[in-house]
Amino acid sequence: MSNSLDQRLAAYIAGRIDGARDVAVSDLSRISGGASRETYRFLLSWTDAAGETRTRKLILRRDPPASLIDTERRIEFEAYRAFHGSAVPVPEMLWLEEASEALDHPFFIAEEIAGFQAGPALLWAEPYVGTLGELGRRKWTILGEIAKADPAALGLMQVMEPVEADACWRRELDYWEGVIDEDAVKPLPVIRAAIRWLRANPPAPAQKLSVVHGDYRTGNFLYDETGAIHAVLDWEMAHLGDPLEDLGWSFNPVWSFGRGVPGGLLPREEAIAAWEAASGLTADPADLHWWELFNCVKGQAIWVSSARAWIDGGNREPIMVFPSWALQNAQDRATLQVMGRL
Amino acid sequence: MTPKVSEVLAELAGLIARNALPDVDPADRASALGLSALLLGVAAQEWDRAAARLVEENTAVRALLSDAPAALGEGELAERLWVLSAGRDEDLRISALEEANATLRAALIELHVAVEGRGQPVARALDAAIWAELVASTERRQLAGAPV
Repeated sequence: MSNSLDQRLAAYIAGRIDGARDVAVSDLSRISGGASRETYRFLLSWTDAAGETRTRKLILRRDPPASLIDTERRIEFEAYRAFHGSAVPVPEMLWLEEASEALDHPFFIAEEIAGFQAGPALLWAEPYVGTLGELGRRKWTILGEIAKADPAALGLMQVMEPVEADACWRRELDYWEGVIDEDAVKPLPVIRAAIRWLRANPPAPAQKLSVVHGDYRTGNFLYDETGAIHAVLDWEMAHLGDPLEDLGWSFNPVWSFGRGVPGGLLPREEAIAAWEAASGLTADPADLHWWELFNCVKGQAIWVSSARAWIDGGNREPIMVFPSWALQNAQDRATLQVMGRL
Repeated sequence: MTPKVSEVLAELAGLIARNALPDVDPADRASALGLSALLLGVAAQEWDRAAARLVEENTAVRALLSDAPAALGEGELAERLWVLSAGRDEDLRISALEEANATLRAALIELHVAVEGRGQPVARALDAAIWAELVASTERRQLAGAPV
């Protein structure tokens, strides 16, 4: 038997569809841009137990040798599965494989939601530029729905590590400062000053314990030319925590794409209003400011981690260099902006 | 910049050579070459200014470190920072300048921690001067087309 990825993938899936025959994978192609998982799309075809030929467009998300961020794929898989069919649109998850025998690295397989865009670059021109307001309102409304959701009812308390309401900020700050301690190649005086300020001025306890997407930004959802959102993607940093954390990340100035408004989409006040209306929660300005600054620290931790992965030789893909080169200075500038220093 | 420009350029040379072979998947080639082009554009911006930026910054940080004894009084930290402030950039290779820069900016963090929250006017003035340098250093590193 050939060791090609498509044939190995077909062999894996064949064992997981009851009564399936002639299982085949075709049109397998890698989707560029993924820095923390290798992402492929492919067409699955098979003959079912009734003798009918079936096809389905699917996505393979496989761990790379070294990643921009260290995450648990089961948490990502379960987060998707928990929200499937809810007010938060996500693709259907099909199979999770945590062993490395089948495809050399752990992976999961999901449905492909085809025909929509994810890349931010297309948004600033026709036919999308006229829909930015609607897209922004949908974006922060869906984020409010994530914040409103009950993690216990979603079955995520068994998958994600719980945290007390007054400890959310410390757990996250400790973790990402630790990443910087471990991975930073050069001193980061702006970020170190921000960390000291964050520790000296902690936020109020979380209003509720929420699912935090962890990377909710323009670029991580599928949109169309009417301003609708068809899927929220990239749940690999999902965890339990303060719902303001996601709002702060969505306001990180590096995700404004130089357009001067959050996500490049919507004025800040309108984004907050949409989030508050959907979540039923309040975005206290002082607490939100803390989480915005925290997310500048988190962003810088991710960019220095990508550089570390490249330097250590685990992943020499250019995508690992780009965030570090393009965003480290921008993240410092964003940090100074949020601190009122720039 | 991190990783080092020289090391990334060497890696890109190999990547481009591999993608010049005829049997590369077109989607993979497009991805590799598109990202390579972006990185080459960033490297081009950094190439001309890097030495000047590093010398300017190292000079500015040494000036701040030289104020440590006045702001902190006598002590091991003030003495060490003052000794560092007396250095000069005699080796103008980028790698040497970056090494000195990293040493100086690590010392600047120590100095910033030491003066933060001190009430004396000389410490407050030095704290303000450090912030001014952090802003200036961030401006020096700005790239064309940056999102912020």
